[in-house]
Amino acid sequence: MTATTLPRRPGWLAGRATGPRLARHTLTLIALAVLVLPLADLSVVTRDPWATLGRMIQGLAWPDVTAIESPFHALGLTVSVALWGTLAGVVLGFPLALLFARSRLVRAGCAFVRAIHELFWALLFLQVFGLSALTALAALAIPYAGIFAKVFAEILEQTPRAPSDALPPGVGRLSRFLYAELPLAWAQLAAYTRYRFECGLRASVLLGFVGLPTLGFQLETAFREARYPEAGALLWCFYLLIATLPWWSHRRLVPLLLVGGAFLLGPWPAVDGGLLWRFVSQDLWPAPLLAGDWAGLADWFASVPDLGPAIGHTLLLALLGTVGALLVALALWPLASRHFGHPASRLAGRGLLVFLRSTPELLLAFVFLLLLGPSMLPAWLALALHNGALIAFLAARHADALEPGMPGLPASGRLAYELLPRVYPSLLALLYYRAEVILRETAILGMLGVSTLGYYIDENFQYLMFDTAAFLLLVTAGLNIAVDALSRRLRPREVPLEDPCLR
Amino acid sequence: MRWIAASAAALALFTQGAAADTFRFTAIPDEDQSRLVERFSKVADYLEEKLDVDVEYVPVKSYGAAVTAFRNDQVQLAWFGGLSGVQARRLVPGSQAIAQGAEDAAFKTYFIAHESTGLNAGDELPDAVEDMSFTFGSRTSTSGRLMPDYYLRQRFDEAPDEVFSRVGFSGDHTRTISLVEAGTYQLGAVNYAVWDAAVEDGRVDTDKVKVIWSTPTYPDYQWTIRGDADERFGDGFSDKVREALLEMDEPELLDSFPRSAFIPADNAMYAPIEDVAEALGLLR
Repeated sequence: MTATTLPRRPGWLAGRATGPRLARHTLTLIALAVLVLPLADLSVVTRDPWATLGRMIQGLAWPDVTAIESPFHALGLTVSVALWGTLAGVVLGFPLALLFARSRLVRAGCAFVRAIHELFWALLFLQVFGLSALTALAALAIPYAGIFAKVFAEILEQTPRAPSDALPPGVGRLSRFLYAELPLAWAQLAAYTRYRFECGLRASVLLGFVGLPTLGFQLETAFREARYPEAGALLWCFYLLIATLPWWSHRRLVPLLLVGGAFLLGPWPAVDGGLLWRFVSQDLWPAPLLAGDWAGLADWFASVPDLGPAIGHTLLLALLGTVGALLVALALWPLASRHFGHPASRLAGRGLLVFLRSTPELLLAFVFLLLLGPSMLPAWLALALHNGALIAFLAARHADALEPGMPGLPASGRLAYELLPRVYPSLLALLYYRAEVILRETAILGMLGVSTLGYYIDENFQYLMFDTAAFLLLVTAGLNIAVDALSRRLRPREVPLEDPCLR
Repeated sequence: MRWIAASAAALALFTQGAAADTFRFTAIPDEDQSRLVERFSKVADYLEEKLDVDVEYVPVKSYGAAVTAFRNDQVQLAWFGGLSGVQARRLVPGSQAIAQGAEDAAFKTYFIAHESTGLNAGDELPDAVEDMSFTFGSRTSTSGRLMPDYYLRQRFDEAPDEVFSRVGFSGDHTRTISLVEAGTYQLGAVNYAVWDAAVEDGRVDTDKVKVIWSTPTYPDYQWTIRGDADERFGDGFSDKVREALLEMDEPELLDSFPRSAFIPADNAMYAPIEDVAEALGLLR
C-alpha cells in the first residue's frame, strides 16, 4: 500500500467533514471579533475600587435578611409573574406556532415582538396600565408568544411523520394533530416551556428595575444606594429560587402555584380606553407627522440621535459579547458536567453557573465598571459571562445525557476526543440562538455610557419623548430581525437539535 | 386557614383597587429609598386623618414613572424633583406646585473630585477639569443632571461631552459618590443634601473624594397636585392638602423625604428650571 493509492489526507482544518467545518466556522468568528476589537473602547482606568468592592463582598457574605421589606410577597410575586407570563405566552404562542410555517405575516410579527426586550415592553405598557400586574404579564407574554411560536413550530416540524402517514386518508386535520403529532412532540414542548419559565423568572426580577414590585425592585434600589447587605440578601433569595427550581416547579405543584400566584397579582387596574387610545394614536407618533407638517418632520428627524454610531456600537458589543460567551461557555461547561471532577467540584461548578446566570447583567457590569473603569469592557465582560454561563449550563446538561463510549480515557481525553466533539455542534447552534438575545441585552447596559441603541431608547423614555423611543425601538427591531436572519443562515446545520432546551 | 386569610387579603386588595375616590400620591426621596411602603404609609395615614378621604401611597421607581402615573391620574399628588415637576405640570394643564421642602428654595449641586486629580475647592470650576472623566447622576435628575449641565455650559461654553474626556450617567447620587470615591470617574455632580448626609454618616472617605465647587442655588423638589383635584374631592381640597403638608411637623414623617419642614411654593418659582430644560432639549 503506497501513499499514492490513498486519497490525499486533507490538511489541517481543511475538508468537508463536520469537525473541520465547525472549527473553521469558530475560528472565523473569533478572527472577526479580533479584527473589530480596535474599534471598541476598551481602556482600563483603575484607581482604588477595593473599598466599594470590599463592601459589596461583605454584603454578599453577610446578607441582612431582616432589611428586606416583605420578602415573601416579593418572592411570590416574582414567581407568579413568571408563571402567568409564561402561561400567557404559551396560550398566545401555540396557535401561532401552527400557522408559523404557512404565514409570512405570522413569522414577521413574531420576529418583531421577540426583537424588543422585555424591559422595553414593560416601559411601553407602563404608560397605559401603570405599575400593575397587567404591565408585567403583558411585558412577558408578548415577546414570549413570539419565541414560543418559533420554537414550538420548529419542534412540531421535527416530529416523525410516520404515525401521521399511517392514519387512513379520511382522518380529519384535528384528530391527526391530536393523536399522531402532539403526543410525540409533547415531551419537548413541555421541556422547552419549563426552560422558558426559568428565563421568565430572570425577566420577572428584571421588571422590578422599572418599578414593578418583584425582587428586582428592592434589589435595584439597595444596590444603587450601596445598601449591600440588603442587596446580598435579595440576591441569595434569587440564587436559592433558581437553584431549587427543579424541586418546587414539579408539574404537580404548578396548578397550586398558579392559583396561589393569581392572588398575588392584584389589584388589577381599570383599563382606561382613553389612555390607551391617546398613547397609541398620539404619544407614539412624531407630532409634526400627525399635523402633516413635513418641514417640522425634518426637524424632528434631526433631533433623533445619530443612528450610525448607535447601530455600530450595538453590533460591535453584540459581536464581542457573542464571541466572549462562546469562550466562557467552552471553559465552564466541563465544571458542571457529571463526566468530570468529583461531587464537590461539580457542586462548586454548578454553583458558579447559577451565580453567573442568575446575577442580572447590570450588577455584573457595575462590578466590572468599578474594577476596570468606564468603557465598553465592563459591558462586554458582563454579557460574555452571563450568557456564557447560561450556554455552559445547557451544554453540561446535554453532555450528562451522553454515555462515553471509551470508558478508559483520562479526563482530558474524554473532553477532547469524546464529549466536546459531540457537544460542540449544539453548543454552537445554541450560541447562534443566544446571539439574538445578546443583541437585545446590549440595550440594557446603557448605564455604562456605551451609547448603544438601547441607551438612547432608555434616555427617550426618561425624557417622556415616546415618539423618538418608538422610532428607535422600530430600528432596533429591524436590526434584530436582520441579525436573526443572518445567524439562521450561518448556523451550522449538521446536527439537528434534539434537546429543545438547547435553543 | 391560610387560604382563607390569603383570599381575604386578596379580596381586600381588589375592593381597594376598585374604590374610585381614594386619593393617591407618590414620592421618590432623593436618598434612602429603603422600606418605601412602610415609611410612606405613615405619611398616607397622616394625610388621611387631615383630609378625611382614603389616602394611599403608590411606590414608584423613577421620575419618568412618577410623571406618567400623575399624567394618567393614577396618582393625584406627587413629590417631584424640579424637572419632573415641570414635565408633569406641562402634561397635566391646571396642576399646581403647592409646597416645597424648606431646603428646596435654595438647592445646590456639589461638583466632587477624586484626590488623584489634585483639585481643590474654589469659587469656580478650574480649567484643569477639562479632559477629565465626569459622571452625572440620573438623566432626569435636576440636581444630578440638569443644573450641573447648565452651569458647565455657562462656564466652558461647550457641551459636557466636549469639555470632558468621558461623560457617564451613574443613575443615582449615592452611586456617583461611590464611583468618584473609587476613582472610576475623576469628577462627579451630586445633590448637596445627599453628599452632606453621606459625610455625616461616615459613608464616604473624604480623603479620597472632596467637594471642589458648589453651584449657585436653584429651586428643586416640590409637591404638585392635579388641577382636577378640587372637582373630584370637593371645593378647596387642594388648599386643604397644602395646609396639611405645611403643618406636618413630626420628624418621623419629614425624615422620609428627608426635609425639615414644608413651605409654600407655586408654579412660577420653577420657571428657571423650565427655561434650562428647554435650552438643553430635555423638554419640548
